[in-house]
Amino acid sequence: MPLSWITRSKRFEMEALPHLGALYRMARQLAGPDGAEDIVQETFLRAWKYFETFDSATNCRAWLFRILRNTWISRWRKSRLELPITETEADTIEPYYDWEDEILKDEYSAGMKRALLALPTDYRMAVLLADVEEFSYEEIARIMECPIGTVMSRLNRARRMLFRLIQAKREEGIAEKATPIPEQTTRRKI
Amino acid sequence: MMDCKKLREVLDAYVDRELSADAATQAEAHIAECSACRRAVESLNRLREAVRTAAGKPEAPVELIECVRSSVSPRWHRAAVIQAIAATLVLAGILTLFVPSVRGAAATALDFLSLKLDDTRQVELEGKLICRDCQLEKQYGYHAMCPLTGHHGWLQTSDGRLWGILEGKASQELIHNSSLLGRRVKIQGRIFRKAGSIEVSGYQLL
Repeated sequence: MPLSWITRSKRFEMEALPHLGALYRMARQLAGPDGAEDIVQETFLRAWKYFETFDSATNCRAWLFRILRNTWISRWRKSRLELPITETEADTIEPYYDWEDEILKDEYSAGMKRALLALPTDYRMAVLLADVEEFSYEEIARIMECPIGTVMSRLNRARRMLFRLIQAKREEGIAEKATPIPEQTTRRKI
Repeated sequence: MMDCKKLREVLDAYVDRELSADAATQAEAHIAECSACRRAVESLNRLREAVRTAAGKPEAPVELIECVRSSVSPRWHRAAVIQAIAATLVLAGILTLFVPSVRGAAATALDFLSLKLDDTRQVELEGKLICRDCQLEKQYGYHAMCPLTGHHGWLQTSDGRLWGILEGKASQELIHNSSLLGRRVKIQGRIFRKAGSIEVSGYQLL
């Protein structure tokens, strides 16, 4: 039975609108501050349009993130020059044998914003959905419309890439510090 | 018992709390004993925390919130306005019916409508024969002159409506035989709704 306008609107206000902040945070990571507002607005328009099909027994936040992702793909991603990630070994996970390397909290924090931007968007989205939004693998699989195995491998690769990017930056920094600045030998002519 | 190799394979699932309870317990037991794996877990958790910090908690611009609200709820406003107007009109309509002249106008309008729908046609009407003047005296206190002028038979149908019986050969008894008053009768004939009258072509006393 179709919901009355008022009931629908009240439900939307109670169940969907509280997630605007979280969606905006993800949209910023996908499209930057300028594109984020458009994505969020479009996401909510779509959500409102199809709100009657949303099963209130399920997770509204996950449903909205799925719409956000589809909106991003259909409207924004096309306009960006990004090669699709290759997932020929979709469900493989590389064990963390190299993970005892001590990278300090500050070192992670310093380079993380840039490192995140360097990730392919599907990896970035997977890691943000898991670490920031704290969705379960099953929910991420539903949002990203892929098998759980793919979620796990994307997370694994995303974290490894972030680790390597930050590690590389750290090594660069160490190398810079190690190289002494050459003394200025030439004298200024008066 | 979980070893380093196995733990490193499930490290993501462990920090994401996606391991089964049994596997998580085994992982905890190994981490408690193995400092290298403990460092690996800590390092991965630091990375996850750094991701959270980098994403931050950006405030959505107020304009965006307003824009989303207004673009998803115009129907709500419209519906509320329409419902409010409809409710006001219905209430106003009900209230004006307490004014006699308005009621008269409404009744006339309804009459007009009923006459448009059905004016004259052949019918068979069933009802009770009554004296028009006596009935009006009973209902409205009209001063009937029947003792002087004699009764005048009309037909009252079950909807309470009074039909004047037009003079004619077939209708003489119905109009003027006062002994028939109070009897139920079925009349065949033609109605003239505008005049509230029926022309009798035949009848049966029931």
